[in-house]
Amino acid sequence: MPLRVSFDDFPTLGKKVNGKRLVYLDNAATTLKPKPVLEKMVDFYIGSYSNVHRAVHTLASRATVAYEEARMKVAKFLNADPSEVIFTSGATMGINLVVNSLLRSGILKEGDVVLLSQAEHHANLVPWIRLSKFHGFGIAYIEVNEKGVLTEEAILRGKEYKPKIVSVTGHSNVTGQVIPLEFVREVFEDAILVVDGAQLVPHKRLDVKDLGLDFLVFSGHKMLGPTGVGVLYGRKDLLEVMEPFLYGGEMIDKVSFEEVTFNEIPYKFEAGTQNIAGVVGLGYALDYLEALGFDSLEEHVRDLTEYLIEELSKLEFVELYGPLDHSHVSIVSFNVEGIHPHDVAHVLDQEFGVAVRSGHHCAQPLVRALARGTKLSNFPNSTVRASVYLYNTKEDVDVMVEGLKKLKGWFG
Amino acid sequence: MIYSDAIMDYAKLRKYRGKIENAHRIEEGKNVSCGDEITLYLVFDGDRVAEVKFEGQGCAISQASTNVMIEVVTGKTKEEVIEIAKNAENMVLGREFEAGLLGPVLLFQEVGKYPMRVKCFLLPWKTLQIALER
Repeated sequence: MPLRVSFDDFPTLGKKVNGKRLVYLDNAATTLKPKPVLEKMVDFYIGSYSNVHRAVHTLASRATVAYEEARMKVAKFLNADPSEVIFTSGATMGINLVVNSLLRSGILKEGDVVLLSQAEHHANLVPWIRLSKFHGFGIAYIEVNEKGVLTEEAILRGKEYKPKIVSVTGHSNVTGQVIPLEFVREVFEDAILVVDGAQLVPHKRLDVKDLGLDFLVFSGHKMLGPTGVGVLYGRKDLLEVMEPFLYGGEMIDKVSFEEVTFNEIPYKFEAGTQNIAGVVGLGYALDYLEALGFDSLEEHVRDLTEYLIEELSKLEFVELYGPLDHSHVSIVSFNVEGIHPHDVAHVLDQEFGVAVRSGHHCAQPLVRALARGTKLSNFPNSTVRASVYLYNTKEDVDVMVEGLKKLKGWFG
Repeated sequence: MIYSDAIMDYAKLRKYRGKIENAHRIEEGKNVSCGDEITLYLVFDGDRVAEVKFEGQGCAISQASTNVMIEVVTGKTKEEVIEIAKNAENMVLGREFEAGLLGPVLLFQEVGKYPMRVKCFLLPWKTLQIALER
């Protein structure tokens, strides 16, 4: 079924930027917000807002119901149990929670090996690297090839490290590669598998049970939801034995001046007042996406990615990165020969109204790895990145491609 | 457009590129958010900045800014250079500044309209300031 997007739901797209129609191609950074989601959030703030799980008054009850409804929606979306859905501030906090809690519970300890991939962005690198310095566990990597791609051969080679934990992205935010998670699970059948779903979840309905994931993290703002809210899915038996990450109110059972016992899952991982409206808003965003249909969304994004790669490939002055095949979804990184990505992005914005990202995309090691395969005389250690989502069209791609031709002419 | 012909010419200038083997001071500067890096090589003659060269890469704005900076500061005393650097920063941040001190640095005045690009312009100036104050 073709995707039926109402452009009235995205008034931002109707705004002019620098006198031009806005072409928003920075969806991997964050997505626009549908007006109906925002309106429902305003209604919630006005009509049902209070703190949750505490007071007995009507507003508190409405807010608690709305908050827990959002958890049910997420649980259904992932095929998880609601007790396995923990609300966080985003994917970054989810990873930090997992690493810290696994350490505190003795599940991850000195001498263990954590296997990451070279395609990770900083959120799935830095927490592991830093905590390995304090706790003495080892880190090994699944290597990317010269295109920045994780091949099945490379994943298989990771087996020699005998990792206790494997933590990988589901979808690279630089190369656009969707990682074969079924294969990863098969190869590392005994390892605890953590998946960074920041880019994958906005594009694909995942079944955490079917895929055998132990942990999955993602952010709401990359899938039409508000900023500052995200989800950590964790396997029940693991969560139950894990020490909490943040301590405070709400996450406790009994507190004395000497001792503390914890609330049950998922509450023991949600200390303090939560981002209540954010959580409720994420639920609304999920409703919006479900109404459009994830299958249609995926197909639309795949078609558009294919078109984007096809059109960019016609430009002989453009170098493309990533797999450039069926596993390449939404995100296309490239460079224009002789023009720095910042200059490309600046001119696209100022002269053509096109919003793209330029830089290292919070994945410095991966972008440096791309230098191995470059044919550019002077690889800038950064790229331009265009990323499409449900409200983008072929015309958007055309505007960017025309812009690139013109700017290449101007800069020579 | 901030990409005037003059700025583009400065971006492509080769004159100040390269290493100085016996430099008195070598300073590396980096913009962490974009990965742009430059290394400044400084030679002093007493209190004066006698010669400066640089290596590195980055966007047209950072490259042009580096070339203009070297052109402007060469031959000046350290004190004069620090004064120019302060005024260059004030200019791009929209504060009061003394235009008479800046010469071709004034080409970059418009960069101040683009907050995300200010750091590109400032990279060489910040690096030079650190080198002189160290």
